[in-house]
Amino acid sequence: MALFDFFKNWRSTSKIKGLEAQLQGRPTPQVYLELAEAYEEADNPQRAAQILKLGVARFPSSPEIGRRKAEVEKVERESEKRRLKEKIQTHPNPILYARLAELYKADSEIDQCIQICQAGIKAFPRYGGTYLVLGQIYIEKQKWEEAQQNLEKSVELDKYNYMALKLLAQVYMQLGRPADSARRLEDILYFAPGDEAILELLRKARETAGEVAATADTQDFKENQRGKGVPTPATSNSRTKIVGRLADQQARSTAGARDRVLNDGIQNLRQVAGVTGALLVDQYGLVVAADLDSTLDEGLAGALITNVYRTSSDNSIQLGVGTFEEGMIEGEMGNIHIVQFGDMILAVFAKHDVKMGLLEKAIRDFASQVAQSQNS
Amino acid sequence: MQSVLAKLNKVSGVRGCMIVNKDGIVAASDFGVDVDENSIGAVASSILAALEAAIKRIQVGRLKKFMVTGNENKLAIVDAGPALLLVLLQREANMGILNVEIQEAAAAVVEKAKM
Repeated sequence: MALFDFFKNWRSTSKIKGLEAQLQGRPTPQVYLELAEAYEEADNPQRAAQILKLGVARFPSSPEIGRRKAEVEKVERESEKRRLKEKIQTHPNPILYARLAELYKADSEIDQCIQICQAGIKAFPRYGGTYLVLGQIYIEKQKWEEAQQNLEKSVELDKYNYMALKLLAQVYMQLGRPADSARRLEDILYFAPGDEAILELLRKARETAGEVAATADTQDFKENQRGKGVPTPATSNSRTKIVGRLADQQARSTAGARDRVLNDGIQNLRQVAGVTGALLVDQYGLVVAADLDSTLDEGLAGALITNVYRTSSDNSIQLGVGTFEEGMIEGEMGNIHIVQFGDMILAVFAKHDVKMGLLEKAIRDFASQVAQSQNS
Repeated sequence: MQSVLAKLNKVSGVRGCMIVNKDGIVAASDFGVDVDENSIGAVASSILAALEAAIKRIQVGRLKKFMVTGNENKLAIVDAGPALLLVLLQREANMGILNVEIQEAAAAVVEKAKM
């Protein structure tokens, strides 16, 4: 039996190696399908799903890859739903509710999605991610008033949330409030300057609002306002300054253990010589743990890092690197290392002379701490 | 420019490289693998433009390089004065040696652009 397993594994590994090599040379839809199947046979469904995602990105018009990808993702979602439900029972935290709701939304199980969001909001009313998912659901149902209420709450809790601000701007347009829409889009440009999609939406909102087409650079205008001590749009409307962190008092009371693990991990990273700060952001762009230089606004840093991550990961296939794993920004005064951990993003700020080996080890240790805290 | 790229391509771990202007238009390219050069150039320049504006607010100074690592390859997008140097690398490439070579190539691009 052992010999049979050995040969089976050897054949499977050889097949995967051969197909991986073909992908590096001249990929075809068939190669992606065969490779995904080989990974499934080798009991590695995650890699199979990843291969199919890459295949869809390379060959978007191939119906067979699209169909297989949808099947694999559906199986993955069901398994993840079960895991999240169990975790909510044993170690509840607000991100679990938001993630579970998103999975129901992906399967068009709208009633369950709303139910989970409402339960999440009841348990953790100061976490913006759940309001965001609920806002998205109401947009799909074209219930604009309800969408507005939830997205406004999400933005109130996290003024730098790209997705919440963008959706809220779109909802305001639907509600015939283009001037409010333009203000929300201007807020986004503060931490995502030059974002072409936002600039285009802003142009339309201003046109609709009948405002004079702005030829002046919005960012320069906002910088000048700041220089004069004039509050940014985000604060001028008396919006809350609360950043949507898990460190929020109420979240802390029930999700304290996880929060402590993450905060301890972040602080351990700062012990590495040359590291000047670190922060962890969830998939909704909310900072869940941070230890940064006091001159940096962690909410803003989180939004900027999320924006860099989103831009890079959305375009990683076109850049020829495959699925995004990590990025490093090298500036004149230091580096920022951006690493994806499942559904979270870690950013580590470091000096040029940081020992990369030590930093990589510390990041690996932190990754295993995060994984343990997610699975515990 | 082509000679700078040819020299860089000889370094172990380099799969290909190109020079684009800041608008993403390809000025020179040398790839040994099948890639869409125009797409890479356009996407890289737009990412870098967004990054340059963003990092002004997080105190790391002027942007010198952005390295993206994926599950297949790495891509270094390097500021080279009026242009960008893009280097596609094997995922497991030894960056210790490559960083030096890439910086030298970027400096050579800056010099040649002055001529």
